[in-house]
Amino acid sequence: MSVTVRIPTPLRTLTGGADEVQVSAVSVRALIETLEERHHGFKAQLCDAEGKLRRFVNLYLNDEDIRFQQGLDTPLKSGDVLAIVPAIAGGAGAPTWHEVLKRLKKEIPEVDVPEVAALRGKGRAAIVDVRDKEEYNEGHIEGAIHLPRAFLEMRAESALHDRGASIVVHCASGVRSLLAAESLRRLGYTDVRSMAGGFSRWKDQGLPYVKPRVLGETERRRYARHLTIPEVGEQGQIKLLDSKVLLIGAGGLGSPAAVYLAAAGVGTLGLVDFDVVDESNLQRQILHTADRVGKPKTESARQTLLALNPGVNVRTFEERLSSANVERIFRDFDLVLDGSDNFPTRYLVNDACVKLSKPNVHGSVYRFEGQVTVFWPRHGPCYRCLYPEPPPPELAPSCAEAGVLGVLPGVIGLLEAVEAIKIILGKGRPLVGRLLTYDALRAEFRKLVLRRDPNCQYCRDGAEFPGYVDYEQFCARPTEAVTAR
Amino acid sequence: MPAGEAEVAAHGGATLRLAEEAVAVIRAHAERDYPHECCGVMVGRRYAGAWEVEYARPARNLITERARDRYLLDPHDFVNADREARGRGLDIVGVYHSHPDHPARASETDRENAWPALAYLIVNVQGGRARDWRAWEYDGEGFQERTVAGAPGNSL
Repeated sequence: MSVTVRIPTPLRTLTGGADEVQVSAVSVRALIETLEERHHGFKAQLCDAEGKLRRFVNLYLNDEDIRFQQGLDTPLKSGDVLAIVPAIAGGAGAPTWHEVLKRLKKEIPEVDVPEVAALRGKGRAAIVDVRDKEEYNEGHIEGAIHLPRAFLEMRAESALHDRGASIVVHCASGVRSLLAAESLRRLGYTDVRSMAGGFSRWKDQGLPYVKPRVLGETERRRYARHLTIPEVGEQGQIKLLDSKVLLIGAGGLGSPAAVYLAAAGVGTLGLVDFDVVDESNLQRQILHTADRVGKPKTESARQTLLALNPGVNVRTFEERLSSANVERIFRDFDLVLDGSDNFPTRYLVNDACVKLSKPNVHGSVYRFEGQVTVFWPRHGPCYRCLYPEPPPPELAPSCAEAGVLGVLPGVIGLLEAVEAIKIILGKGRPLVGRLLTYDALRAEFRKLVLRRDPNCQYCRDGAEFPGYVDYEQFCARPTEAVTAR
Repeated sequence: MPAGEAEVAAHGGATLRLAEEAVAVIRAHAERDYPHECCGVMVGRRYAGAWEVEYARPARNLITERARDRYLLDPHDFVNADREARGRGLDIVGVYHSHPDHPARASETDRENAWPALAYLIVNVQGGRARDWRAWEYDGEGFQERTVAGAPGNSL
């Protein structure tokens, strides 16, 4: 089928200048193949890699666009005229976003996720994350340089010193990184590539990433005075928020400690107390109020603490501590603050802390004197290193019998809270192996050295746990030497 | 600047020579379609050092939503103009279009859609008046400016 093909000016270089050629073919598709055989390069001008007619070329068979006929399969007959019509277009208008993206994809080299992982593994490229702060905090590639796009041009120079270094830019999906890469190239960085698919694809392919813990807005406001202390800062505050402190007793020592630990933002506060509020408590137990006399101390404590800091998780245990429940109660907490008022409890607390390896912040008061120390199993002595057995009852009067200056447990309880916070933050020297004594009347603080007893039945190295002892209150002897383990 | 045949600046490559009739048609078309871009074909002969345009045929701009700064020349009009040119022993040697309120410089968009060998005439229509006429030729990478002869002086 002899067909006349009209060649437009731009394509005449391929036909040696001819504006018309005669071709025999049964269909348009066949005609293109024949043209290619005769004039090499023709097909590439008309069709893309998949053999489809290019967008900017039109084929008119006898004045009708073949797209409205059978496309490339349109049949031909003798005498037909096939005109190759270039799409003529342009305009002053700035490129559409779509066109910009197309151009960027052509100009900016892309690199796939596995290759970025390999480059990173060998330290051969700097990874730059251009996402915003929220996205970055939700998770990012460890070691990536964070340069949000909003500040890219301003901060690039201080973050990326070597303009010849190999840089891989990534965003969430691979689009913003193209724009950012172009910006970096404009700034003179010569080896910049964009990670195809972005961080989403990194995660989809199961590659590792890190997610920093950060404070929310409310927390930033509430703990502002902590955040500016270098030893605390955001990381320290996060440690406090993540910590779990158990207070034995919501009384004279437990009250001030609980209040300040809640104020500091300790995330979980446990309170063990089976007693109810008594009027005589109000001389010193600041967790409680006059209108709560007769109420369980745990409930009263919860009310006060949540009013101060609604963000604290207050867990109450309105039970008497014994060998039967001590491990169950202690298990979830990071450290114990002993504010108990009787020896059986002190020994139980000590023994459980030794067994479960938890720091035990210890405080005690008597009239005008008080003491604080930290029993940290294996770091220093335990209670039994000092007092392997409880004292005879006549040497251990309770507060009711001996009396106490109301404010004194306030002082000691707060010192206990300070020690707890130091342990949580990992800052300063906790009173491990040292006993801080306070003489209120003399206004004197002293420190005594305490040592581990190498023969301590409970905490010596390699000791097999002897078991809990449920001492009867103020009995000289235990009812059973060995109870639970 | 003297009126009539004012060769504005001498550029390398071929010169685009416009017959008076072509100039009149192009100017009328550009000013009529303002503030939209107009487009059309230029018909004549190609010589070694020049495109000689005898007449111009306006074509339809298929772009409607962005006609202020985009054009797409209706292929039908191209086909018809091509047939007519052939009948007269002539050829479509180039394309013209206007830039309303925008310099007569080839843009990124022009470049992305460009074909070699054709003469591209861009007419700047400022505030409704055709003011600046410039010619361009695409060399495979970008546009090179060419001399325009026969167009009104650009200072008008």
